[in-house]
Amino acid sequence: MVERTFELPDLGEGIAEGELVSWLVAAGDTVEEDQVIAEVETDKALVEIPSPYDGSVTRLHHDEGEIVPVDAVIATFEVEGDEEAATERDSSSSSADAEGSPGETAADAADTDAAAAGTPADAAADASPGESPVPSGRVFASPSTRALARELGVDIGAVEGSGPGGRVAGADVRAHAQGAGTPAGEEPAAGAATASAAAAETAATTTADSEAVAAVGNGTAEAVEQRESGVGAAAAERDRTLAMPATRQLAADLGVDLNAVPASEEREGEPFVTPDDVRAFAAEGSDGASGVASGVAGATTTEEAKSATEPVTTADERSAAETPGEGAAAGDLADRPGERVPYRGVRRTIGEQMAESKYTAPHVSHHDEFDATELVELQEELAAVAETEGVKLTYLPFVVKAITTALAEFPYLNASLDESAGEIVLHDEYNVGIAVATDAGLMVPVVKNADEKGLKQLAEEIRDLAERARNRQIKPEEMQGGTFTITNIGVIGGEFSSPIINHPEAAIFAMGPIKKRPWVVDDEVVARNTMRFSMSVDHRLVDGADAARFSNRVKELLAEPSRLLLE
Amino acid sequence: MVMGDIATATDLLVIGAGPGGYVAAIRGAQLGLDTTLVEKDAYGGACLNRGCIPSKAFIHGADVAHEAGNAEEMGIHADPAIDMLQMQEWKSDVVDQLTSGVEKLCKANGVSLLEGTAAFEDEHTARIAHGGEGQGMETVEFEHAVIATGSRPIQIPGFDFADDPVLSSSQLLQMESVPDRLVVVGAGYIGMELSTMLTKLGTEVTVVEMLDDVLPAYEADVKRIVRKRAEELGIDFHFGEGATGWEETADGVLVSTETEAGDVSQYEGDAVLVAVGRQPVTDTMELDAIGLEPNDAGFIETDDRARTDVENVFAVGDVAGEPMLAHKASAEGIVAAEVAAGEPAALDQQAIPAAVFTDPEIATVGLTEDDAADAGFDPVVGEMPLRASGRALSMGESDGFVRIVADEASEIVLGGQIVGPNASEIVAEVALAVEMSATLEDVAGTVHTHPTLAEAVMEAAENAQGQAIHTLNR
Repeated sequence: MVERTFELPDLGEGIAEGELVSWLVAAGDTVEEDQVIAEVETDKALVEIPSPYDGSVTRLHHDEGEIVPVDAVIATFEVEGDEEAATERDSSSSSADAEGSPGETAADAADTDAAAAGTPADAAADASPGESPVPSGRVFASPSTRALARELGVDIGAVEGSGPGGRVAGADVRAHAQGAGTPAGEEPAAGAATASAAAAETAATTTADSEAVAAVGNGTAEAVEQRESGVGAAAAERDRTLAMPATRQLAADLGVDLNAVPASEEREGEPFVTPDDVRAFAAEGSDGASGVASGVAGATTTEEAKSATEPVTTADERSAAETPGEGAAAGDLADRPGERVPYRGVRRTIGEQMAESKYTAPHVSHHDEFDATELVELQEELAAVAETEGVKLTYLPFVVKAITTALAEFPYLNASLDESAGEIVLHDEYNVGIAVATDAGLMVPVVKNADEKGLKQLAEEIRDLAERARNRQIKPEEMQGGTFTITNIGVIGGEFSSPIINHPEAAIFAMGPIKKRPWVVDDEVVARNTMRFSMSVDHRLVDGADAARFSNRVKELLAEPSRLLLE
Repeated sequence: MVMGDIATATDLLVIGAGPGGYVAAIRGAQLGLDTTLVEKDAYGGACLNRGCIPSKAFIHGADVAHEAGNAEEMGIHADPAIDMLQMQEWKSDVVDQLTSGVEKLCKANGVSLLEGTAAFEDEHTARIAHGGEGQGMETVEFEHAVIATGSRPIQIPGFDFADDPVLSSSQLLQMESVPDRLVVVGAGYIGMELSTMLTKLGTEVTVVEMLDDVLPAYEADVKRIVRKRAEELGIDFHFGEGATGWEETADGVLVSTETEAGDVSQYEGDAVLVAVGRQPVTDTMELDAIGLEPNDAGFIETDDRARTDVENVFAVGDVAGEPMLAHKASAEGIVAAEVAAGEPAALDQQAIPAAVFTDPEIATVGLTEDDAADAGFDPVVGEMPLRASGRALSMGESDGFVRIVADEASEIVLGGQIVGPNASEIVAEVALAVEMSATLEDVAGTVHTHPTLAEAVMEAAENAQGQAIHTLNR
């Protein structure tokens, strides 16, 4: 009868958080080890989370739909289950709603406990979700710094010290709390972006009335900054904020950007936001909208507005800035009737990635068409052979082959721009992403080292990846590391498209359907199987001329596919 | 619950008013918890009443007498007479002042005091039996409980503290006259402190110890100085002998010992002091009623928040594990109360200093050179012998040294070992350095008062850096 907390496990390389899509258990349920208790969606894949214990669930720490950082406590179990205690708790304090705010739940649990003497239920109250661990070895930090770490829910053992001999300073802890090591309960970047975007929205509505219509339409940085300043006029404006983890959670729950909340206290000379501050700010929010609006109108010139926001360059703000269109369009949506579908999960991930790509990389598109007669013949011939071995050979592997061959000759199309380093990375491998339409939305599994694989192997691998993407059984790491993406618009229909680059790749290739079209052969219009295709390239890395040369080479290889044998 | 019981509800029930318990209670009350402190006999616990404080009072008294009588070199000729009853009275005044201070502090902070012995009924209920028969019981319902029941002296087979000539350390500190001869079983820190003190008061002390040296927990060069001084004072040590029994003689006791090889010896004394250590008190509060049981070593296990396996029940101090030191208990008591109040406190102390009030004193904190190497550091060590200290020489106390252990790469101070007069005071600086992760440069760069013993800490840090002024750099 021991309480055990369970943290969201590592979901894959480089993945810091996931959306808790669904709970498959409720508080009070008895679970077996390895029984799936939750589904968490990360970077386009759905991960099933197994129970680490035999026992009963005493508490779920997050609501469905919440973004949960890796290592945050998601559930509390009672191991070697005490049925009675579990049932008792179930009937009193385990509704999903109550779990939203840790503070409230803790209080509930404590109350229940006082009444039901003999159950160790307020363990949950004691073991607050953000409790930071005490490292077993020597820690190089002063007592006050360690206390700060505990207050911010930071694992002091994970903080890199900047002081003499690697000693950890208070500033290191705070930086850690703001950075990679997101403390439990803090809404991560995605959420913050949403909050900022929502705030920007409000301001944009009113700005549009006066002078900024054009600017908003353009979606220029200036316009965005101006909108940001609208928020700043009524609210605090910090790029980081001290607050307890529970306060961060509260802010997230109320959709409040913590950095915008005026602080009523100070800790070590820095503004410290309390739960009351957050509530007060959230309460003001609704009528505050008009206040914000007049604030913007008052700030007559763009210059003024800009100067107020100059230093704001955090990642959160940037992601808000990267989706300016939404702010403008969303202006009068708040009251619009219609069905409301939560913007989350795969849909939101796609949205965020597309927005990032489109607003980061200047796209230039290129379209072309070639005579696919030989390709059709060769495909028919080889597909028949492959079929006897149980492999379904489509046109796609041929296209992959042609592309990797051409990429070897045009390294800038198999590249990425490392903006922070100011360097272009010419990739040394050819990992080709294949866009797959699934019920949940677009997914792009990656065929690693596609250049080293034969047609049959490519066909098999693509089929397997696509199938698992549709079943949502694909692992996050199988969708990472791509260097170029192919999308097949021909499957559903259409002739050309303007595909969005799978950022930070340099280019994307959209193949259209092969069908009979009028084609001029020896000055005669004849019906020929042709393929039309489109490409988008990042103009920062690739000029239109290079795109065209690359396209010509692909065309050449596909129009005379026997040439692929040479490569 | 028994009919007629009075039921009281409290946020925080603290069992035991020693340095762990009373500190937990006061901090709990400071944080707004309704706090109840249960104590069966004396506020301040063993430390204030039967341990640290009375023993230090006697040690100081013995030092005054001994120094006065042994200062011919300084031109002082005296032959002090000891009035033990008067010294007891003085000691009692000291203790009373402290214990009544604890009681007043508790009350001033709003802690409810209950006299009696607490036993658990379940995880939220305890029964308090008031002292003495017919005094009644009451039931306390609590949100959180802190077990701070401390420890008691260990008895060994054949030596029952109920028998008159067999004394525990607590009983010895109640003595009304200075014994002429005393056999001491155990050369740990309690045995060594009391043997030294009594020798200075004029007792002929014979120490029998099962191990082959004094103070098993300390490094050879540390304990060598203390053992040598004890021998010079006239303590008769017999190592490798275990006490097997005693018999009453016409003028005292005859204590029998046996070596591993089976050689038997006998030592005469007016009484025999058994000081082989202390054991946690876990048998008074019916732990099994809340599903707890002591571990193999007899302690209640706790996590880094001072919580036991029952999450609303904490354990602090001697009952919660080694080292059995009052200041460790207080530190744990504060954490327990803060965690109970929902504060983000934790037991993350980097080091618990320890002091032995022998002649000279020993004080240590953090890692020794060997510990540091075992922990994976590349240790660098600096030392200052007290014979190079002007202050030590001017006190006539030049035996001993200050040693600093640091990590070679980062130069962060990892620990220190001090032997010498006032070592127990000097160690505080090293403890601060360890806890703050100060570097050798931080310590060496801090200007120290001259002439003091504390200068030796600075000098040792400089020595570790290879740039000491007053000692040869190794």
